[in-house]
Amino acid sequence: MENLRKELQHTALLHQTRRHFLQSVGFGLGALGLGTMLDSCGPSAAADHAGGEIAKSRIPQFAPKAKRVIYIHMAGAPSQLELFDYKPELVKYHGKDCPAEFLEGKKFAFIQGVPKMLGPQGHFAQYGQSGAWMSDYVPYLQTVADEITFLKAMHTDQFNHAPAQLLMHTGSPRLGRPSLGAWSVYGLGSENQNLPGFIVLASGGQQPDAGKSVFGSGFLPSVYQGVQCRTGGDPVLYVSDPNGMNRDMRKQTIEAINEINKQTYEDVKDPEILTRISQYEMAFRMQMSVPEVMDVSKEPQFILDMYGVKPGKGTFAMNCLLARKLVENDVRFVQLFDWGWDGHGTSKDHNVEGGLRQKCRESDQPVAALIKDLKMRGLLEETLVIWGAEFGRTPMQENRNGLVMPFMGRDHHLDAFTMWMAGGGVKQGFSHGETDELGYYGTKGRTHVHDLQATILHLMGFDHEKFTYPFQGRNFRLTDTEGKVVKEVIA
Amino acid sequence: MHSILLQDSSWATFIGRFHPAIVHCPIGFLLIAALLEVGRRWGKMAVSENVVVFILLWSAISATFACAAGYLLSLSGGYDADLLDNHMWKGIGVAVFAWVAWLVKSDKLQKAMPAGKRIFLPAILIATVLTLSAGHDGGSLTHGAGYLTQYTPEPFRSLAGLPPVKAEPTEIKPIADVQQAVVYADIVQPILQTKCTQCHSASKSKGDLRMDQLALLAKGGENGPAFIAGKSAESDMIKRCLLPENDDDHMPPKGKPQLTTDQIALLSWWIDQGAPADKKVSQLTVSEAVKPALASLTKGGNAGSDQAKEPGVLSLKVPKADERVIEDLRKAGLIVNTLSQDQNLLEISAVNLPGFTDKQMELLKPVAQQITWLKLGGTAITDAAFAQIAKFPNLSKLHVEHTTITDKGIAQLKPLPYLGYINVVDTKVGDAGLKAVAGMKALRSIYVWQSAVTDSAVSQVGRQYPDLLVMNGFNEATAAEFVKAGDTSDVKELKNK
Repeated sequence: MENLRKELQHTALLHQTRRHFLQSVGFGLGALGLGTMLDSCGPSAAADHAGGEIAKSRIPQFAPKAKRVIYIHMAGAPSQLELFDYKPELVKYHGKDCPAEFLEGKKFAFIQGVPKMLGPQGHFAQYGQSGAWMSDYVPYLQTVADEITFLKAMHTDQFNHAPAQLLMHTGSPRLGRPSLGAWSVYGLGSENQNLPGFIVLASGGQQPDAGKSVFGSGFLPSVYQGVQCRTGGDPVLYVSDPNGMNRDMRKQTIEAINEINKQTYEDVKDPEILTRISQYEMAFRMQMSVPEVMDVSKEPQFILDMYGVKPGKGTFAMNCLLARKLVENDVRFVQLFDWGWDGHGTSKDHNVEGGLRQKCRESDQPVAALIKDLKMRGLLEETLVIWGAEFGRTPMQENRNGLVMPFMGRDHHLDAFTMWMAGGGVKQGFSHGETDELGYYGTKGRTHVHDLQATILHLMGFDHEKFTYPFQGRNFRLTDTEGKVVKEVIA
Repeated sequence: MHSILLQDSSWATFIGRFHPAIVHCPIGFLLIAALLEVGRRWGKMAVSENVVVFILLWSAISATFACAAGYLLSLSGGYDADLLDNHMWKGIGVAVFAWVAWLVKSDKLQKAMPAGKRIFLPAILIATVLTLSAGHDGGSLTHGAGYLTQYTPEPFRSLAGLPPVKAEPTEIKPIADVQQAVVYADIVQPILQTKCTQCHSASKSKGDLRMDQLALLAKGGENGPAFIAGKSAESDMIKRCLLPENDDDHMPPKGKPQLTTDQIALLSWWIDQGAPADKKVSQLTVSEAVKPALASLTKGGNAGSDQAKEPGVLSLKVPKADERVIEDLRKAGLIVNTLSQDQNLLEISAVNLPGFTDKQMELLKPVAQQITWLKLGGTAITDAAFAQIAKFPNLSKLHVEHTTITDKGIAQLKPLPYLGYINVVDTKVGDAGLKAVAGMKALRSIYVWQSAVTDSAVSQVGRQYPDLLVMNGFNEATAAEFVKAGDTSDVKELKNK
């Protein structure tokens, strides 16, 4: 190990030669001129925010109601018609041909020709003082009905998973835009200096379809991107020291590496180098803090039971518990992804009957426990919990390739789906928006993805029209040129 | 809507819009020339004739340019035709008489036309009078007729024969009984008057649209009718209000007072109800969506202003904290954030300073006025810190969870007038501490899980103060009960068809 350190120091020295001196004199003058010409291209503007600046917040337009966010994304899209959007009329239409008006000019991911209507598979009742409709798929969520605000007439533009996920998280169905979490940390800063401001936890056996871009930083400096932690084994790979490396040695190593990086930065002024430097420093601090915050063994047994956590298993339930621990430690934005909600009816796991019930069985209890746990710790008032997916599911039964599916299933649906929020300045026990009697189209309070994003930013204190970042000669914002704050849901 | 864009980008309008700027040159120059001439003739001051000639030349040149720009501006339309005509001819008169005055005053012409000198005085007199008159017409075109004398005080008001002062046009009067209010006359018209008619009425009708009378509103302007009765979503006046403020077609234009959400809801509702002229609120169907907007009318003002619901402390105006003090606090490891752009209150957090002690509380003294959210959870503070905390008059949220504080500390918070949130989770605070703060005026929620507070005290205080949330959390027994909630879900069969 001593050799490694010496080698690094040697490299550091080699780095500074006479050639460097001449180079920097020559380039320096040219760069001075070029730099002013290229000022609007991004990097130089970005440089202000990189490195240690991540902790710094921009002053919000309004006092933030939501200081932290836990965003639970059910990748694949659960059926709103089985869980929250109660449509007794749809029962009567079960098995009948879909009316032509629903099909004209519409495109579906898989439905072809004239599909049959599919009645709701759950038993619905009203819960809480607010009388929220929920099905027996989510018996635990029923117990927190009065904490929740439903958005029942959500709609989106994209009917494939990856672009729809990108639209939901970055405001654009194409790659390259910063995600909501990145914008949040860019806006309000990162509080706990030992933990990343934006942490991602995934479960369900697969990553979200749109990959890491759904929690990327786009054109924002990459310090703002989501840091994905594993929930079993080492939470962050390669962050713990190998055998024979002690902490002092590690410190010296990182100092030497950062010294080289600083010199390279002086040469080329690439702000990504500042990101790299700050990430090395963060990783060093994380060696201490991450194992501590990700360790659930000190949690009392009844808390583990509430979430339904089995120690050592990287389940969705574990991620919910970790999400609470992270926001308790002032992590700004925690993003949960759970894969496996794509109920087409093609297999035992992917349908809106047994398959969806099984997914609910794994997730319903921990989500309800999370809300209760946040509440009793006094965290729910300042933490916005968001639950939803990239789109909804059709009131029609899927008939992929004109065939009858082996299980009850529904296709992707853009025109109506349900999301909910709790805590962080939204109304308690409220429902916004309605769909038509078959749950096909929003009739009241239609809320587009951009409207939801505008509302979330508003809750965090930002006017989505003024919260921008200059890139390639224009100011970009999360909601692009759209979006209207849904004032009705704000407490 | 495209016509607006085309006009805006054309040269005529571009130059035309400089008219209000250029026009001040001839006004000033001519008055100066006239004043100097008066002073010269009185012999009170030595002014060479050349000076007057020079100023007159520039008066004439700038008046000519102002006329040209003014003509181009008038092409964009929307002005009262008669008033515009008057203004134009008076303006041209100013230019002509300025040239005449200059010609006769300058030396060369004096030789060619010796008698010319006699018409100099009438010329400059007429030019000056026309300047004042044309200027007044211009003001009326821009601001609306009667703008100048709108607030003439008594007794001059009656002497001049002006009608009594009208209600402040930017304010909407409260309505005592909303049910009996006539929707158009009492609700819609006041909104239009405060936000729209400045540019859309008799004296100035931009886009050929007048919004001061229902019939004219229905007739609409160059982009068609302003509304379609029964269909607010397709009505131009609503659609434009809902566009982003930066949009060129958004109304009212960027920078002018905007309609509030409630006001848009009221206008939409009126249109959806068929835009009746004389129906009362009670005669129409009141939808859920418009109820809060209608209710807000009883308060008057800008019906339903969006900040109405902010808790008291956020509307406080405190002086800005010293930047150097904030810098010191940050250097010490505290997080210091300004709450929002329009006020100076501060949020301070010691999340990165687990070793923060009572002694370091001294650091916060200079920002005592500004601190409103304070997070000292998980630090080394004790009851001694509360002597300082009690001196933060604008404190509204206090986190002291996971510390060793007791009743003695928390009881000192009592005099704080804005404190709405206290978190004493995992502390030694007990029943006495809870009871000491429970009656505080602004207190909304107190979190006492894993403190020494007993269940019976929680329920007792809960009964005594029903609006206060006293949150005690789960224990083994209640957690086990919660876990049972899902037991029934597997039993039910899915036979809903």
